[in-house]
Amino acid sequence: MTAGTVRSLLDGPLRLVHLGLPAVAQAAAAAGARVTHVDFLPPAGGDPRRLSDLSELLSGPSARAVDAANARALARLLASRPHLVAVAVARDVIPGMADDLFLHAGPPVTWERMCGPLRGAVVGGLLYEGRASTAEEAARLAAAGAVRFDPCHHHDAVGPMAGLVTPSMPVFVLEDRAGERAGTRTYCTLNEGLGKVLRYGAFSDEVLARLAFMRDTLGPVLAAALERHGPVDLKHLMAQALQMGDEGHNRNRAATSLLFRELAPSIVRATEDREKAARVLEFVNGNDHFFLNLSMPMGKCMLKAAEGEPLSSLVTVMARNGADFGIQLASMPGRWFTGPAQQVRGLYFPGFTEADANPDIGDSAITETAGIGGFAMAAAPAIVQFVGGTAADALATTRAMGRITAGTNPGFAIPALGFSGTPTGIDLRLVEETNLLPAINTGIAHREPGVGQVGAGLVNPPREAFHAALAALAEHVRTAAADPAEPARAPARTDP
Amino acid sequence: MSAVVLVREGCYQDSARLMQVGREIAALPGVVEAVAMMGTGANRRLLYDAGFAGAALDRATPMDMVVALRAEDDAALGRAREALDRALAGTGPAGVEATSERRPATVAEAIAADPATNLVSVAVPGPYAAFVAHRALDAGRSVFLFSDNVPLEDEVALKRRARDLGLLVMGPDCGTAILSGTGLGFANRVDRGPVGIVGASGTGIQELCCILDREGVGVSHAIGVGSRDLSEVVGGAMSESGLALLAADPATRCVALVAKHPAAAVAERLHGLLARLGKPAVVRYLGEPARPSADGVLYAGSLDEAAELLSASVRGGGMARSDDRATVRMKVGRPSRDTEQRLVGLFGGGSLAAEARCVLAARGVETTSPGERLGPGAPLPPGHLVVDTGDDAYTVGRPHPMVDQTGRCDLILSAGSDPTVTVLLLDLVLGDGAHPDPAPELVRAVEDARAARDGRALAVVVSVCGSRRDPQGTGRQERLFQDAGFLVEPTAARAADAAAALLLGIRKEVVR
Repeated sequence: MTAGTVRSLLDGPLRLVHLGLPAVAQAAAAAGARVTHVDFLPPAGGDPRRLSDLSELLSGPSARAVDAANARALARLLASRPHLVAVAVARDVIPGMADDLFLHAGPPVTWERMCGPLRGAVVGGLLYEGRASTAEEAARLAAAGAVRFDPCHHHDAVGPMAGLVTPSMPVFVLEDRAGERAGTRTYCTLNEGLGKVLRYGAFSDEVLARLAFMRDTLGPVLAAALERHGPVDLKHLMAQALQMGDEGHNRNRAATSLLFRELAPSIVRATEDREKAARVLEFVNGNDHFFLNLSMPMGKCMLKAAEGEPLSSLVTVMARNGADFGIQLASMPGRWFTGPAQQVRGLYFPGFTEADANPDIGDSAITETAGIGGFAMAAAPAIVQFVGGTAADALATTRAMGRITAGTNPGFAIPALGFSGTPTGIDLRLVEETNLLPAINTGIAHREPGVGQVGAGLVNPPREAFHAALAALAEHVRTAAADPAEPARAPARTDP
Repeated sequence: MSAVVLVREGCYQDSARLMQVGREIAALPGVVEAVAMMGTGANRRLLYDAGFAGAALDRATPMDMVVALRAEDDAALGRAREALDRALAGTGPAGVEATSERRPATVAEAIAADPATNLVSVAVPGPYAAFVAHRALDAGRSVFLFSDNVPLEDEVALKRRARDLGLLVMGPDCGTAILSGTGLGFANRVDRGPVGIVGASGTGIQELCCILDREGVGVSHAIGVGSRDLSEVVGGAMSESGLALLAADPATRCVALVAKHPAAAVAERLHGLLARLGKPAVVRYLGEPARPSADGVLYAGSLDEAAELLSASVRGGGMARSDDRATVRMKVGRPSRDTEQRLVGLFGGGSLAAEARCVLAARGVETTSPGERLGPGAPLPPGHLVVDTGDDAYTVGRPHPMVDQTGRCDLILSAGSDPTVTVLLLDLVLGDGAHPDPAPELVRAVEDARAARDGRALAVVVSVCGSRRDPQGTGRQERLFQDAGFLVEPTAARAADAAAALLLGIRKEVVR
């Protein structure tokens, strides 16, 4: 007799799940029945319209089709195998890149609405590209529309914090080497390190000098070394790093070290000038976050494999531009659902407070979207102090994310959780049903351009983004159900 | 005097807790009135209509707790704020933080925690109930749906789905069920036995169980189906499923169907089903005289009679009824024209009120139920009255009288103080879920009323629906009534019978 059958009710004993007024289950408990009590919260924030959309997506006639779409999307995500295949110049490799195009983090944003750090990065980018010689001139040019702006995500790229990609920057080129979507490529700039850096909106001479070094030395040396070494399996590397205390977003020390070890001989062999090789190795060694700019495009590459599943409720993008937080779904790639970027809760560097903080910014939440970062917090107890927590909180965070994800990634096993995989594939429906938002680890940028990083902590997306996505998906699924002959269309790149 | 709205964001509480907090704050010195509710659209409209306003109220969501109060001065307002903070101490913002372990928060999580779960019991506010019940069906589990205020179309959809899945949805508005000896909601502790019940009335099921219990006959299962199951729209969907289950159940030897006001087509279809059931079947449609029995399906004129027929059947005596048997134990009296001799019935159980009305009418005592909510202290409408104090009009913003008797006690005091009222008719439902010790409160209310009558006698008749094993102690509750001079009867029908006899002067004892 299986648990669900009606006969089991009459054959006894009863085993209850109870929601709501506890007194209603008193009789059953008194009779000795086992009662599992649920901490009930109104789903979807109790909003009647959302409740009805959500019920349709979870329990309606199309619900099992949504489940199946999610299963297929997740299977492709898990099967993907991103490799680092090259380092090249952005304008040469990023699809749609142009000399007058600057890419930025998050959903689309105009110069007028750009936050301080993003404006700072744009100014820095114009100085770096030689389009302006002073910050004032750069700001004038930007305001006058001298360059176009577009989200990194519209070009299969991702960028941390401001996420600025200008045409002459060197970028990592990743390629999916397995699964149905083999050949998919994603892109990311090279990580500058901590302190005053362009991605936090700094554009001093020191910042520009470093960017020049990265363009003239770091990029070409790594390109040559990679060519000699051959592709690097990033998932393999990430899996090891998760067992060495990294979570792939706010802690990248282990993965950076592993990459360094892997590439060092090739760097030395590929570089005639020993001093040059040494400087590159020093740079990588001195930057614990070097691997972040690989864990991010790795996540993007995995998530691109999940895209294009017409009924899927899985989230494939979470990204912020410092003003708006945007998400996308596997069912509607390219379509943004946005809400206001939130304040980060965290620890500040000495001399800074919450008043200095810019709202949440960067494409780095792609790591959480792919099942690492905050979702792998249990792997990185060392950084849990950023959120003022204990090692137990780290485990709880990862477990909690298991409540809003479609599955786990067996390739990313966490020792502290009995080697279970990281929770992967955020299901919009579960976010709404539990009212539980994804936990994102992140850095905090100063709100003024030019200052840089002031802290790190934990942030959640705005509920509005999920609410908007829920309404759109319900409509999308209704349309598909009404016209099964024609697969549901995915309107591209409209900002609701 | 200031009208103030206090809002606590992200602080969901169940209705019992809200009422408790509201009462605590209302009891503070200088607080004239206070009500605590969640900030749903409907609740906010109620508050606007009651004269509350403000940006905090405008912004409140269904996840936010709203306390609306009128305070005499700032000091009283301060006390109210402190009391609210105290009441909520330890209740963190809900659903935001992901940093601590917690109990399951959804049906799916709870079933994952105990995969052997075979029933999901739902007592959440009406607007969320259908969502949760669907999630239980998604997981392939049957549902006990206690919640009321569930839209009719949701009930139809749930029951259609349950039928397709071969599952049960017991409810919405299902007060009682007993499955394999385990009670759900309001239920009496009765022994297991040969009688299987399908019922659309919670107190109807309880009363039948308790009469059988007194006769030493146990119950195999009592499958509640919700008060609207036999309506035309719902079409008796779960009554049919329940009867089919009982037909196939080896522990069930005979079957009872208890419901109120069935739609004609549904009653006809169920009659056909009962006739082909293969087991003796008794039907009681509450609040109406017995229908003619046919095709071996017996229609009883009261729950008492239904119990008698079932007992006879399980004792091997076979069942038979003749229309003259019914429940007639009293001579029908002459209808009283004396407006100074009135009967007022104040019931906690809606079906029991209907049974009483039916018996009183048969005795020539025509009763009305007041069209408008009776207020404590307000003058009574003319004539004999039977009031269901568990009706929606009396339970908005307060618990059911089976749980909290404050409202019914207020009405007992005001009706009992009226010198034209000479007979008071009450019911009392015991069992799990009900008030833990109800008799003393009712006795006190009657004694207060009697004290206000200048020595004019007030007869009180009460029916006690309780089993031998109920936690309140049925015998003790009955003795407390007897000690106070109440006439105690085992069923609402018999209590109504006795009350009619007293009113008509056929019976004169126990008048104090």
